[in-house]
Amino acid sequence: MAARPSLSRVSRVINSLASTSFSSSSSSSFSSSSSAPASLSPSTFLRRHSSVSADELSHFSGLANSWWDPMGPSRVLHLMNPLRHEFIATCLATGDTSNSTGNTTSPPANLHYLDIGCGGGIFAESLARTIPLTPSVPGTPTRAASMTAIDPSPHLIRIARAHARTDPTVDAHLRSGHFKYLNTTLEELSERLLKEEEAKEAEQPTGGKFDMVTLFEVIEHIDPNTSTPATFLTNALRLLKPGGWLVGSTIARTFPSFLVNQVIAEAPWPVGVVPRGTHEWSKFVNPDELEGWAKDGVRTVRSQLHNPSGSQNKALEWLCCGVMYFPGLGWKMVPGSESWGNYFWAVRV
Amino acid sequence: MSASRSALRPYVCSSCRHGVLAPRRRFSSKPAQNPEIYDVVCVGGGPAGLGLLAALRASPVTSKLKVALVESQDLDKARSWDLPTHEFSNRVSSLTPSSVAFLRRIGALELLDTDRVQDYQQMQVWDGETGSKISFDWAEETSPFEDPRTVATMTENANLVRALLSRIEASGDENLKIFSKTTVSSIENGSDHPDGPDLSAWPVLTVAPSEASPASTSEPPVRIAARLLVGADGINSPVRSFADIATEGWDYNRHGVVATLALSDSEAPTFPAGMRTAFQRFLPALGGPIALLPLPNNHATLVWSTTPEHAAYLKSLPPNAFISMVNAAFRLSMTDLKYMMKMKRVGEEEEVNQHDAELTWRLQHTPQPNHIPPMVTGVQERSVASFPLRFRHASTYISPRVALIGDAAHVIHPLAGQGLNLGLGDVASLSNTIEYAVTHGMDVGDLLSLERYSTERWGANAKVGGVCDLLHKLYNVPGQGPVAWGRSLGLNVIDRLPFVKGFLMRQAEGGA
Ligand SMILES: Cc1cc2nc3c(=O)[nH]c(=O)nc-3n(C[C@H](O)[C@H](O)[C@H](O)COP(=O)(O)OP(=O)(O)OC[C@H]3O[C@@H](n4cnc5c(N)ncnc54)[C@H](O)[C@@H]3O)c2cc1C
Ligand SMILES: C[S@@+](CC[C@H](N)C(=O)[O-])C[C@H]1O[C@@H](n2cnc3c(N)ncnc32)[C@H](O)[C@@H]1O
Repeated sequence: MAARPSLSRVSRVINSLASTSFSSSSSSSFSSSSSAPASLSPSTFLRRHSSVSADELSHFSGLANSWWDPMGPSRVLHLMNPLRHEFIATCLATGDTSNSTGNTTSPPANLHYLDIGCGGGIFAESLARTIPLTPSVPGTPTRAASMTAIDPSPHLIRIARAHARTDPTVDAHLRSGHFKYLNTTLEELSERLLKEEEAKEAEQPTGGKFDMVTLFEVIEHIDPNTSTPATFLTNALRLLKPGGWLVGSTIARTFPSFLVNQVIAEAPWPVGVVPRGTHEWSKFVNPDELEGWAKDGVRTVRSQLHNPSGSQNKALEWLCCGVMYFPGLGWKMVPGSESWGNYFWAVRV
Repeated sequence: MSASRSALRPYVCSSCRHGVLAPRRRFSSKPAQNPEIYDVVCVGGGPAGLGLLAALRASPVTSKLKVALVESQDLDKARSWDLPTHEFSNRVSSLTPSSVAFLRRIGALELLDTDRVQDYQQMQVWDGETGSKISFDWAEETSPFEDPRTVATMTENANLVRALLSRIEASGDENLKIFSKTTVSSIENGSDHPDGPDLSAWPVLTVAPSEASPASTSEPPVRIAARLLVGADGINSPVRSFADIATEGWDYNRHGVVATLALSDSEAPTFPAGMRTAFQRFLPALGGPIALLPLPNNHATLVWSTTPEHAAYLKSLPPNAFISMVNAAFRLSMTDLKYMMKMKRVGEEEEVNQHDAELTWRLQHTPQPNHIPPMVTGVQERSVASFPLRFRHASTYISPRVALIGDAAHVIHPLAGQGLNLGLGDVASLSNTIEYAVTHGMDVGDLLSLERYSTERWGANAKVGGVCDLLHKLYNVPGQGPVAWGRSLGLNVIDRLPFVKGFLMRQAEGGA
């Protein structure tokens, strides 16, 4: 299977990362933090060194115990999750020219995924479940061969790992290394991967390791004091192989979204569907802003990392689709509703 | 997480309870081998359970799931079931066109022995007390050159079960395990293996050879873990009690008398040729309707819902008298029928059939409508039997890692012939739900995956079960009082309003 050789390479890099849990990461990545005592709370540490917002971190960690409760505060995220798979499938179908010849055999499951800000693992675990255990098992349209999921909250990573063990298939992928949870930030991971790359192939930078990078409900949660969405996106894009997709979802900063997400969704039970304090409306990102930052990021990454001469005239592929929650029906893709609230977006390097 | 723990409680089969005291402790004291892990374990190999397995094996998305089926009866007998062409099993169900379409989709329809299957295109239903009639007649809406629309398809349950078994076998035995003549003796939660997966919220079944089976001494019990445990195990579902799902319900205090009958050649040729009709007459004074549903070669199957006393009386009659009672039930007045139900029983060897004499005499004084069935002329030996009629509805069909289908989820009054069709509707919905879960990375045992199934089915089944219950109650009020008057008005009005009738017909067909 074509996936295997390249996978072993990714695993090599990731394996070295796996040992680098958040609290012990200091030695190689950040010299300044090597003095950080182990007892220092993760949020204090992160406030100084990455785009993680301390308030955010404690908010989501507080929800952790109920993260996997189907009726709990993360229910809306759970309900949206299948649509993430469908949106990714749409992206892959858009980019895939091999199938236009009427080829009916399903394309191989050979894509390596990175999920940034995986939280309790709702998306990461579901994608890991689709990785074929044996070659005879058919893959799904998301074509996953491996999944690496990162989050700065040690508490959430613990929750995610514990839950992954309740499914023997996912557990097997954890044990074989096809599925990994790393307690780290995007910034740390980028730095780490870049250093490894430099150490090995000094001649020419070749870009990232992943075919797909996902960023679901994260961009609106980063700390505006230490990072900007534009920097964050560029960091994420750097981790992609040429031709890979960065896929995400977020909420637009509009009057309806203000009403729905701040006033109604966070209202006391039984009206509210997400816990209070989940969103700060001012951090919401509009689709046109996101498109601008993402495309700038792609240009930067292409010129810095990929073959600078040829790739510059490659078209910029951007996809965007609104999703709406209908009580009793669940989430539905509603093209054209992007600026109304929740939307999926994707950009290709 | 917390929900998944509390919703489950160990189930121990009542007959094994003394032998397997405190199963939890037994397994922890003797560290049993790790259970074999399956994606779907289905308990019960009736039409619902086999249908689910066949559907999963037929879809490319779910055909590679590792599945197991546990059935306490001998499935080899079901596999080799065979009857001469002129004989029919007395367990026959009417399949709605949507059930038929589902069976076609999963490749099971073509495996039915079609010589034993009978479509019908017309239904005559009337109230024996008021004479009010509703005729379901599609022929008037289609041109004579078209095939008249099928209302339902009569199929012996054994024919269906055999077809489903061959469909499953045709899919090969990779990732498939069928435990025949095997009974579930206990279900409990698994455990957390330090160097393996955490199965503490997974149902783990212990299955052992059924008591009657000669192998019971030699084969040790087997332990299997289920990502999704499906209860297709009938009205007393062990899976349902494991999941601690409550059921609402009552007994109708009625029995369904069934029999395989032979009919006289009908005098009037049908148009279009080959058109067959089902007949049902409500008998408020006797406790429920009598229905005669067509089988091939001028045969028919009987379902007569009546009081246990009447059922016992009918079963005790010699064949000739039984036949006369059936013919009378479609023709005579309530008063006459009540009288005949009390006639002294005569021995098998009696030369004169007093019931027949009574029927012949009374018929001369009873005007007949033109929609009565042909005369019944024979009853197949040993085919007269009766079943208690009950209503049950589980409070929910799902619980973490558990789903109920078929009679384990709902048992309804058979007056509309919908029981098995509801079960096949469950199967279609649950197999789609599983398919969706697999393609979207969901755990098929997770409540979030299963919600889809219960949303689609619970309300729909409650509606059909409720209508059947309502009809049962409405047609159990004897006399000419206001209820009977309303009844006659109701059915006549429906008969005159093609739109309403069409709607009811679609419901009966399992559409809408
Ligand atoms: C008189 C009468 C007439 C009917 N007419 C119609 C009709 O015309 N149309 C219609 O659609 N429906 C009709 N029905 C209803 C129909 O027969 C049932 O709904 C249908 O058979 C139910 O199928 P099932 O697979 O859900 O359950 P079942 O057929 O009851 O199968 C359950 C299986 O589970 C097995 N089992 C139970 N416990 C265990 C255990 N611990 N371990 C292993 N295996 C176990 C049993 O052996 C059995 O094989 C009628 C019913 C009656 C009573
Ligand atoms: C709303 S949660 C989304 C969880 C998950 N993606 C989902 O949708 O199920 C946002 C997550 O982003 C994480 N996060 C915030 N800043 C981050 C950073 N700089 N790098 C990686 N993850 C970050 C938080 O810890 C939090 O778990």
